[in-house]
Amino acid sequence: MSGYAPTQQATSPGGRLPLRLLAQLAWRNLGRHRRRNGMLLGAIALAVAGVLLLNTMLRGMEGEIREVVLDNLTGHVKVLGQGYLADPGIEHGFQLPADWPQGLGSEELFGWAARLRVPAVVMSERETRGVELVGVDPRREDISFLGRATVTGERLAGTDDRRLLLGRALLEQLQTAVGRRVVLVTQGADGRAREVGYRVAGVYESDFRALEKVFAFTGAAALQQTLGTNAVTEVSVRLARAADDNAQAATASALATAFADLAVLPWQELAPQAAAMVAMADFGVFIYFAVVMGALVFGLINAMATAVMERVREMGMLRAVGMRPGAVVAQVMLECSLIMALGVALGLAVALAVFATVADGIDLRAFDLDKSLEQLGMRANFIPVLTVADVVLVVVMSLALGAVASLFPALRAVRIPPLVALTGGRGERGAKRRQRGATDKAP
Amino acid sequence: MSVVVACRDLGRTFETDAVPVHALRGVDFELASGEWVSLAGPSGSGKSTLLHLIGGLDRPSRGDVAVDGVELAALGDAALADLRLRKIGFVFQAYNLVPVLSALENVEFILQLQGVAAAERRRRAKEALAALGLADMAGRRPGELSGGQQQRVAIARAIVTEPVLLLADEPTANLDAGTTEELLQVLRELNQQRGVTILTATHDPTVMSYTSRRVNLRDGRIAPA
Repeated sequence: MSGYAPTQQATSPGGRLPLRLLAQLAWRNLGRHRRRNGMLLGAIALAVAGVLLLNTMLRGMEGEIREVVLDNLTGHVKVLGQGYLADPGIEHGFQLPADWPQGLGSEELFGWAARLRVPAVVMSERETRGVELVGVDPRREDISFLGRATVTGERLAGTDDRRLLLGRALLEQLQTAVGRRVVLVTQGADGRAREVGYRVAGVYESDFRALEKVFAFTGAAALQQTLGTNAVTEVSVRLARAADDNAQAATASALATAFADLAVLPWQELAPQAAAMVAMADFGVFIYFAVVMGALVFGLINAMATAVMERVREMGMLRAVGMRPGAVVAQVMLECSLIMALGVALGLAVALAVFATVADGIDLRAFDLDKSLEQLGMRANFIPVLTVADVVLVVVMSLALGAVASLFPALRAVRIPPLVALTGGRGERGAKRRQRGATDKAP
Repeated sequence: MSVVVACRDLGRTFETDAVPVHALRGVDFELASGEWVSLAGPSGSGKSTLLHLIGGLDRPSRGDVAVDGVELAALGDAALADLRLRKIGFVFQAYNLVPVLSALENVEFILQLQGVAAAERRRRAKEALAALGLADMAGRRPGELSGGQQQRVAIARAIVTEPVLLLADEPTANLDAGTTEELLQVLRELNQQRGVTILTATHDPTVMSYTSRRVNLRDGRIAPA
């Protein structure tokens, strides 16, 4: 008997995966168990849509928390005198360099503001409160909430304005009004107390009552004159919304050069709790994906394994007539991946449709959540964010998970011996046992 | 005439939980090109086991099988699959058509596995169906065909690759008498006019009456005629 040359056969066209046939079988098999596959598709679509929508909420929340921190006089990067954070006072003030803001020429720069911030006590005829008195240049405060705040009365006219801008909540606590006078007590650069009368020019409203209670604003130059100094206590730099971590790091580096010996701190260090929440939101998408899709994968494996076992004879026939084991694996994987791909596409469509209805923002005041959200540093009306990167991430992870999940039923399918086709599907287990029992024991 | 199948001292033992079952006990058998041989014998006599071993669907416990000069023991699973794809046609008792493919696609897909170009395989599949009187049924799915028609599609699928050997395991077991006769006529035409070598395992005396030779198996051995 002559030997067989399997390599010649293996490299022939028949040795390649018949992908078109496999795709045709996978597509047609989808319609084979419409109810089961329909439910599976629905479950995948629901899971994908759920993860994506949840992700838009998390991203919205993450962006909201960051924007609130940046707005809150922090900016992306801030320059402070050494020791100011531990003991905020005029004694930790510093001079702006003569060539400032030269060297800050970042394309991502949105703006900067130098401020003089000192602790003070404000007194009306009826009440006394502790505040942070902030001397600002109003023209530069478009980088903070102050630039966009609604003001009743008048805004500060300039850096020389000696009047006071109070928050609505503080105004109510002091039981005073726009146009009336209050007295502020603080410490001057010489260490002596300053007690100065201010007229309330206007009252600002912010999204957070806590801010309204804390900050009282006046002109920076006027405050410097009052305190007997020409120093500032902070320089805040705000970058454009699209700026990434690299732009922030480059800005911090430029500031460190311009303000040697001073503390240059990114917002993450100034507001570590908010930074942790942002990081958690970043990680959250993976957690939700793992939980939801992980549970779904078991359903997918179960459905595909059932489908394979229902087609034992067909699989056996395919093996018997010459379909290679690899092609059987590919067929099941393709079928599984096709269901997953359709489910992902459907889920994506659902997510986009739902997202379109809430893209302008979700007003959580309707759910009476505004106070809870304020404690989390979020506004009651927040905007969900859908990024292409997140969509790609969820789609790719879903498809990859589908491919991995299909391995189990695929390997199960390939273990079906071709003999099953000839035995009429009777006793696959018996056929396998018989195959395993193919010993050399002669009768 | 050349030898298409050669079995030498073929044995097959199945290990069970209780005692080993000796399905074949040293069978020597040859099938010449152009023959139509029926394997006959009672249930458990080993005829299906012999068919499986010749078809490369199972491996012997001892002895050798060669198909068209190729020794099967030397082949791995993938090479055996290639051999079945190119040299052997199978006709199963239960037809085993793919329900989601039309009759034409059921015949065509085996050529797809062989890597035959689309136009060529479509032409050959149509010819095979026409040869079995199913030209008008090409677009129908198995569920829309009668048992006899399905078995004809299965035969078309088995012969479309022009195999050197057609193995049929109880091909008429699910058919009525009239359809059985029709199908046997088809197999006779294939055997006599196209020279297809056929080996059939059967209980059916009608099938045996069509074959050129009958091999009786009893207790895993070839019984004297």
